[in-house]
Formats: sequence, structure tokens, C-alpha cells
Amino acid sequence: MAIPILSMLRQKVTEDVTFKDEEFEALGIALKGEINAIFGKSIAIREVDTGSDNSPEIELVNLTAPHYDIERFGITFVASPRHADVLIVTGPVTLNMATALRKTYEATPSPKWVIALGDDACGIGIFRDSYAVVGSVEKVIPVDLKIFGNPPSPKEIMRGILGFMKKIREKNHVGKQSAQ
Amino acid sequence: MSEFDKEVRRLFPSTRFEEANKGEVVVKADDTEIPALAQRLKEQRFSLMLLFAMEDFNGANGITLWYVFEKEGFEEILVIQAAMKESMESIAAIFPPAYLYEREIMDGFGVAFARAFDQRRLFLHEAYPEGFHPLLRSFRNMHIKAKKAISLSEEYPFKEVKGHGVYQIPVGPVHAGIIPPGHFRFSVIGETIFNLEIRHFWKHRGIEKLAEGMAPEEGLLLAQGICGDEAIANALAYCMAIEKICAIHVPSRAEHIRALFAEMERVYSLLGDIAGMVVDVAYPLGASPFFILREEMLRWNEALSGSRFLKGAMKIGGMAHDVQPAALSELSRYLGSFYSRFTEGINGILSSSMVVDRFETTGVVKKELVLPLHLSGPIARASGIHADVRVQHPYGLYQQIAPSNKVTEEGDVLARFRVKAATIKDSVGIIKRIIASLPSGKMCAEYRLHDGHAFSLVESSRGQNIHFISLGNGKIERYKVRTASFCNWNAIEHAVLGNIVPDFPLINKSMNLSYEGNDL
Repeated sequence: MAIPILSMLRQKVTEDVTFKDEEFEALGIALKGEINAIFGKSIAIREVDTGSDNSPEIELVNLTAPHYDIERFGITFVASPRHADVLIVTGPVTLNMATALRKTYEATPSPKWVIALGDDACGIGIFRDSYAVVGSVEKVIPVDLKIFGNPPSPKEIMRGILGFMKKIREKNHVGKQSAQ
Repeated sequence: MSEFDKEVRRLFPSTRFEEANKGEVVVKADDTEIPALAQRLKEQRFSLMLLFAMEDFNGANGITLWYVFEKEGFEEILVIQAAMKESMESIAAIFPPAYLYEREIMDGFGVAFARAFDQRRLFLHEAYPEGFHPLLRSFRNMHIKAKKAISLSEEYPFKEVKGHGVYQIPVGPVHAGIIPPGHFRFSVIGETIFNLEIRHFWKHRGIEKLAEGMAPEEGLLLAQGICGDEAIANALAYCMAIEKICAIHVPSRAEHIRALFAEMERVYSLLGDIAGMVVDVAYPLGASPFFILREEMLRWNEALSGSRFLKGAMKIGGMAHDVQPAALSELSRYLGSFYSRFTEGINGILSSSMVVDRFETTGVVKKELVLPLHLSGPIARASGIHADVRVQHPYGLYQQIAPSNKVTEEGDVLARFRVKAATIKDSVGIIKRIIASLPSGKMCAEYRLHDGHAFSLVESSRGQNIHFISLGNGKIERYKVRTASFCNWNAIEHAVLGNIVPDFPLINKSMNLSYEGNDL
């Protein structure tokens, strides 16, 4: 009996977090508020790489790693487009990936939104004039938001998504609908 | 005359040797001689590093094929040039990676290889129209019309394994994780993988064609954009090739910073592999220390270069910016704590029976595959071969500072884990040595462009990357890149055989090869 009581009283063994980034935390909390209002507590994102240099993917993975851990704010990356609210697309859309991107978009249930992430996906990257690319994501599927950068940093991605949530709320009055 | 020269002259007593850059021995051969030469080179334990084509080389009309070889123990490389007539005999049966190179050339230039056992298209998927060959000079780079509909007969024919109870699992190009696209076709009996065929080039961006006609400074951006976590490795190789052509002497301080950044890239890149391997055996808590260290390294990258991926740091002739001495001494102090935390994390993993049980004997790459498949980097070192460009073909600062690599014999996931962990520790040591011995001086040399062509080799985090550049009238005439992943992907097809499907992600992650570096 003494042991459970002692363990409750004893200091917790989890380490102190020393890497807290105030700006990022504030972004996350604001984002959480928006997501709660529009999507009912969480959004599901499916990532599609259509020819990036892989650095956007690395930054997106970093968002789920300990420093950022964006799942706290209601953002999850899902394994299938069928589970997704949002597609994040990186890369200039290669000819070889155009069909796969189109099919992924079709497989995503409505309502759905598309974010083009990185300079290549937004049509200003160095590969835009190549025979092997379509040139930007919006030439293949409708794009709702562009996040520029080569690649955008985790904070820039968060800022982009936050601005995007506000836009959805204002444009579609989704917040009102879901409240009803 | 060097030992390598003698070795090559013994093999080719009556051949014409061409004038060449230092470190390259160039031989001209007739197209009909190639198969016999390849056979002889194979017997002498040479390994095919690269095979590519170039149109109208040195004013000659038509296609010239370049076969590039290396041999263990020799710094120099052997280059065989052969003018291509109507068709060339395939050497894929002698040097297996040639089946990829030859298909790459067939797609790019529309030429044929006789007796090639695999004639399928490579980087031009079904969406590309027939008769389209982007690397021919007659094609001016521009957007093209993709095929609207692809009929059943035009679909890519995968190798089919038939038999009682054999079924196929198609995976990709869009995967479940946040990773690049590729297609994996498994033939499975029960849970055991009987055959795996990988189809790549979903990310093909046409980098080699884009480079044509660019000024060297412009092309550097392409090299850097090949692969995000090899940005320094490829930019460095690119600059080294240009510097070789134009006889540019890079200042000592810049050489030091180049090596410093190359090692920082190796550290953060391999940390991702280590973390990913632990995640893939469902042990995220154990992976957290490595994710944390990696984020810290990315922040150091930003502090030193302004970019979390060290982009824009490299320049022809040296470095774009100097680094702050205060930041460097702070980095050196930080690496002390990095080392102990990293070691603690690794020891934690290696003392977890749950992890070791999954790592051990999984995904073995046999030692005898390393040479024929031209595997390089940590994969080769985990299979008992001491492959490292920094040691075998020392460049830049590595002529003074040699890495002390760990080599293990087992070739399984555990061996790759150990080798990668040891490589990180060694790189941390190199970074500290560089900071301690950093000379003052200029960061970039003045230079004038010359025409010519050259090869360069670097050790990226994944192994040997080779670049070839040919300059004419101050512009790039031909840019050929082969990253380590291009050859190393073949290792996975062998390593998974006999393993169960759920171990595939782990085996894949233990190599963590680059899709974009392969697809270009």
C-alpha cells in the first residue's frame, strides 16, 4: 500500500522540457483553437511527394518529432487519402507522378483542401521548366493554400496552416455550421 | 607512372591512352571490344562505377559511351570511351548494374543495346509519348504533352512469379508514411518474401537536361537540389568537378569549412536513419533522443549557414560565406554533450532485447554482392567491405584527415545500425578536429572558366556519389550524376529475400536510400 502512495507523491520521472519555443507554442495553441472550431478537434493530413528534394518531407516528419509534436494541437498525418481532410503536396509534379496525384485527390473524401508546400510545388522552383514536370500542383488539382520556402521551416509550415484555417472559417463559415 | 597506370597497361597492352585529368586514366576503345574488355576487367576485380552517354563529344558525331571503373586499393579511376555505332552489346550480364545504366541511355538517347535482357523503359514511364528521348541535343527542353490514357498493354510489365500459393503485394507509389514515392512489387508465399521488384523514377525531374546550357554557377543550384539531405555532398561534388576543369585552387579555410559541413550533413542525415530504424520496430520512446539530437543539428546548420539543410553554403572556388568563430567554438562544446547523449541513446537501444531481436539476422546483404552490385557507404561497410570515398579516393581536407570507419561482417540490420552509429561518432570527432585546426584566410578563390570535362567523387551519407561535367564555351554541355542510392537500391531486392513482409519497412529504413537522388 505504501508504494503506490509514495509513487503518487514522489516527483515524476519525466524529464523537464528545456527546448520549449514560446513562439511555436503560441502558434500551436492558436491553431488548436481554429481546428477545434472548424474540424471538431482534429484534422487529418495526407502527404504526397510529387518530386521534391525530400527536404519538405524531412521538415514534415520533424513536426511530429519531440521538439514540435504537433499531434498535441490536433494535427495527425494519416496513412491513406481516404482518411484525410487535407492533402499536403510537395514537388513540381513530375509527369510520372501526375496520375498518382490525381488519383490520390480523387480518393480523398469531400470536403477536402490542398496545400502546396515548398517552392517547387508552388511553381517557382528550379525544375519548373523541365520536360519532366508539369510545373506546379495547381496545374493538376485545385490548390487552396501555398506555403513557399525551400523548404519552409516547421514554424513557417505552422504559420501557413494557421492562416489557412482562418481563411477556411471566413470563407465557408464552417465554424458556424459545425456549431449548429 | 602510377601503379594504377601499370595495372591498366598490363590489361590493355595495345590501347591508346588519352590525355586526362589527374586521377583519371582514359582509354579509347572500339565498340566491338567492349564486352571482352568488360569481362577482363571483371576478372581483375574492377567494379563498374558509372556508364553514361554523351552526344557529339569533342566534335565527334553521334553517341559516345563512357564506362567508368574503379578497383579496390587504387585512387585513380579508369574511363573507357567508345563511340557507339548502330547498337552496342550489353554488358549487363557481366556487370549487373549496367542493366539500369543501359536502360537509362536507351530512354535518354533512343539507342539500343544488343542482347540486353531487360529492355523496358526506365525513367520515362508510361505517360511519356513514344519516340521521346530528352537527352538528344535535337530536343529543346520544354513542357511536353503527357499521354492521356494508358492502355492495359502499355502498362509496365513486372516480373511475375507464379506457383501454388504465390501472391503479389503492390505497394506505392504513394506510401503510408511521409516518404517519397516508389513502387515495390512483392511476390510472397505466406508471409515470406519470395521476390521483390522495385520500380523507381516517379520523381524524375530531368536534372541532367535542365543543366545543359546553364552557366556553371546556375547549375550549382541543380546539384544542390538533387537531394535535400545530400545538398552539401552533391554541391561539393559539383564544385569539385568544375574546379578540376578550371584548375581552381580552393583556399585552405574553405576546404576546412566544406569538410565541416559535409560531416554535419552526414551526422544529421544518419541520425534520421537511426531514429527511423527504432521507430520501425515500434519503439518511439527509444527513437526520441535521436530525433531531438537531429533537430538540434538542424538548428546548428541554420546557425552556421543560414539554412537548416546547409543550402546555399557552397560556391565554386570555395564557400559562399564565412562562419562565425564564436559559433564554432560553441558548436565544439555542444558536440561534447551530443556525444555522451548519443552514446547513451545507442547503448539504450542495443541493450533492449526487443530491438535487437528484430534487428539481428534481418535483411542480410551478403558480402559477395557488394562488388558486383557496386554497393557503397554504410551498407557496404556493414557487409565487410571497407568502402569509403574519403579513404579510397581522398579529396579536399580528407587528404589530411582520414575517417576511422567501423566495418562489420554480418550485413544485417543490426550491423547497419552499428556502422551508422559509429559513423556518426567518427564524424563528430572529425568536426571537432576541424574546428580545432581551422586556419584563417580567404573563403573563396577567384577563377576563370575553361572548357573541359572532369569527374568528381564524394562520400555522401549514403555512400559514393559520382558527378561528371563537361563544359563548352563556358556552359554546361553534359552533366551526369550517379548517387550512391542508384546502385544501393539493388541491395534491398536481395536483402529482403526470405524475410517476412513486416520486416520490409525496417530493412528499407536501415538503408534509408534516396528516391530523388536515384530518380534525378
